[in-house]
Amino acid sequence: MTAAVSKNLKDMTFEDFCRTVFDTTKRFEKPETLKGVRAVSTTQYILGPSCASYLAELGAETIKVELPKRGEPMRHTTPFNEPFLYPLSRWMPDKGTGLGFFGANPNEYFMSLDFHKPEAQQIMRRLAAKSDTFSENYRAGTFDRWGIGYRQHAEVNPRVVYQWMGGFGGWGPGRNRASYDILGQAQGGCFSVTGWQKEYGGMPSKQTIWIMDYWGGAISAFNIIACLYWRDNVSGKGNFLEYSQVHGAQRHLTDLIALYGRTGIVGQRWGNWDPLLCVHGIVKCGKSSYPNSKNPQEQEVGFCLVSAYKDEDFAKLCKLINRADLAKQYPKHADRVGADAQMAIYPELDKWAADKTKEDVDKACKAAGVLSQPVWNSKEVHDQEHYHLRGTLAWIDDPTFGDVLTQGVPYQLSETPGRVRWAFKPVGADNEHLLAKLCGFSGSHIKELEEKEII
Amino acid sequence: MAEKWRTEKKRPTIKVLPWPAVPVPTVEEVYAGVDPKRAEYSLWVEDQVRQQYNADKPESLDGIRVLDMTTDQIIGHWCSSHFSELGAEVIMVEPPGGDPLRTMNPFGREDYAFTAANGEKCSPRFLAEARNKLAVTLNVETKEGQALLKQIIPQIDILIENAPPGHYDKLGIGYRQLSEINPRLIYLWVGERGQWGPLKDQPGAMDPVGQCAMGFVHGTGAPVSFGGTPTRSGWWLADQVGGTFAAMGAMAALYAREKFLGKGQFVECTAAEGVIRIIDYNWGWHGMDGSVRPRYGNWDLAINIYAVNPCADGQIMVGGGHDRLWFRIWRTVGKDRPELEQHICEDPKLRVVTDRLPHYMQVETYTTMCDWTKDKTRDQCEKALQEEEVASGGVSFLDEVCEFPHYKYRGHIEICDDVNYGKVLLGASSFIGSNTPGRIKWIGRTVGQDNEDVYRRLAGLNRENMTALRKGGVI
Repeated sequence: MTAAVSKNLKDMTFEDFCRTVFDTTKRFEKPETLKGVRAVSTTQYILGPSCASYLAELGAETIKVELPKRGEPMRHTTPFNEPFLYPLSRWMPDKGTGLGFFGANPNEYFMSLDFHKPEAQQIMRRLAAKSDTFSENYRAGTFDRWGIGYRQHAEVNPRVVYQWMGGFGGWGPGRNRASYDILGQAQGGCFSVTGWQKEYGGMPSKQTIWIMDYWGGAISAFNIIACLYWRDNVSGKGNFLEYSQVHGAQRHLTDLIALYGRTGIVGQRWGNWDPLLCVHGIVKCGKSSYPNSKNPQEQEVGFCLVSAYKDEDFAKLCKLINRADLAKQYPKHADRVGADAQMAIYPELDKWAADKTKEDVDKACKAAGVLSQPVWNSKEVHDQEHYHLRGTLAWIDDPTFGDVLTQGVPYQLSETPGRVRWAFKPVGADNEHLLAKLCGFSGSHIKELEEKEII
Repeated sequence: MAEKWRTEKKRPTIKVLPWPAVPVPTVEEVYAGVDPKRAEYSLWVEDQVRQQYNADKPESLDGIRVLDMTTDQIIGHWCSSHFSELGAEVIMVEPPGGDPLRTMNPFGREDYAFTAANGEKCSPRFLAEARNKLAVTLNVETKEGQALLKQIIPQIDILIENAPPGHYDKLGIGYRQLSEINPRLIYLWVGERGQWGPLKDQPGAMDPVGQCAMGFVHGTGAPVSFGGTPTRSGWWLADQVGGTFAAMGAMAALYAREKFLGKGQFVECTAAEGVIRIIDYNWGWHGMDGSVRPRYGNWDLAINIYAVNPCADGQIMVGGGHDRLWFRIWRTVGKDRPELEQHICEDPKLRVVTDRLPHYMQVETYTTMCDWTKDKTRDQCEKALQEEEVASGGVSFLDEVCEFPHYKYRGHIEICDDVNYGKVLLGASSFIGSNTPGRIKWIGRTVGQDNEDVYRRLAGLNRENMTALRKGGVI
């Protein structure tokens, strides 16, 4: 076996070494992790599609099956009804796909299929017979009733990893309930611990992203790769997996659940501060960084995270804000992490920052040797060279939509990196290609299916 | 300002209820009166995946060995939990004395800590991510510690670390050096923003640095006009999302190694970039017209109705932007308040799904909605909406979450009866499956509890070596 690291890489500085092995411009010169894995996804919204897209980023041939014409519902969601990418499909060139669809569907192949119809179910069976993973999020048992569920697929393809994902799962008292990301957040307890305390004018708050969907998709994709590993290296067998969206929150809040079980304490909101550490919170800076901007988002005053929970850092911070007395009053972490102490300390920081922008606060903290991080908005994040250099954010030349700014693969792999090839495609864009390739259909047969509105 | 009871000196006594306070529903109760044909599928799934059968099933990552060398940050421990739940042998390497996270209790209260059989205390935050893991101590700053690490590296599949950028490399135990010893090693670095690039991590950075550095905090909370400010997530969200993606990266590397690559690789994942991947449409939107995603409180920019709104005893979530659900929601409202249904359904501006999205339409929708919810409890709203099969549910607090029948029945919440820490209530593994489900076998170990086992087994140390290392402060 050749040495893992060649000689000139050994002599580089660590920074240069990282820049070389993770070089985003070389990603397409390296092999793909899941090359040769075929993933079929008949999912809507975010949970299922995002799961499929993580596999697609790693190189799996991911086929997304949607209903013909209008496609899946997420294509018709977009912030404030403003941004759309055109066309929606070849049948509806004057309509666009909303950006709600964005981010959950990169690299996929798009096939339209009305699987309420028997001919379509026949096609689905042929796809499943040739696929490594199959995911769906219809109400539990629907695909089984239609004869395209795990039990039927496993008969012809026992190696399939079948992932059902959805709201409450296929069994249990709540199995018939519908769900969305926000319901997972609400009923899982996520809202109850986020936001300001009542006394500070706050209420239980939503995490802004569709996190129970996107994270649920991520954990399911992890499990799918683990199942493929087990299938290919250990057993040769597939798997039936179930992910319930409302389950995610319990996993995230495990420490508070343990606390409740032992002490009866019900974890509450603690605003922008941290119950475990002090000072480790977000400070309000009284001045806007862009007071003359026309964008109301930018006229807002700034916020900056300040972290100085170690005793020596806290002393530096107190010196910086000219309140050395606070360091004397709360010398040890145990003295200042209590609720009363936190409520006394943070307002002093806000007072100090009242005549500063977030950049001023950041600069002053860094100069004093205190850790800080301004609260950036999407424009400021986009302007960081850091994320573009690392491929986390990228302008891509999308085959359908031209120049598109998109998120990249979140992790870096030195030998088999993930990559973004396209943001998404119109409904049914790959019908001809996939049906000819996987089902052997002739051009006229495909036309006929289209006329019968099966695809 | 603060209520009296919030002050530290006056604390209420809280009665600790046994769990479950209300018995878990039985199978007969759950499927009572259900058409046997319909119940058949549910019972089949239940039979396939119920957690009580887990112990008899194989584990997908059995035989994989993971060294989790991260400290003082949750991202690495969160990441290694994925492997330990699926059966890998995960060894947590802590500095002598233990990971500082072990002492971080909410508001510094020692009485919130869990006490082990030997009297040692451990915070819930650490314990939650110590599941199925072994605990050893090692001081990698010492020459002997580095030598010991190199000695066991040939037997490790995945190493996870979160030291300041380049620190391990400088110590001679970075990817470049360790991959010489074990070319099959998968070496994973985790952090907040990165170990290279202009914003690379400063020592000590932990969540919510990641949340602030990628736009999450700016977008969470109510808009200024509603009296809101940017808001961080109440838990270390960025670390936990980043940790999951880190696990995905390492798992991909493991798959590639076995399938075709034959060697390990260098992997990196950060908290900020994990959330950048999943923050909806922010980047596409900014790229199109320079838009900066605003805060929108408990409503949603892209879907109407899809929100949490106030009701008589808290807040109620109602969701359904598409026609099928939209009209069902208003039909439910119309049963009590026909004038509200009429007001919405007869408005031509609200007829098409995308037309409902602009801000002023959302204000109209939710104002009307709240007129109905304001006199109703969460439970009443939920029942009424579920009759029409609309996705809905009250905002639950953690005691309600722990007692929610569906979670109890499915084992989303379970008690781990641990040899060390006694009975601990926790959120179970998210890996539910027929052949290789995830599971929790034990909840955690005390500091250095597995030193003897691990170092004798993997490094062949004897009694004299162990004593010398212990005396030298190496383990």
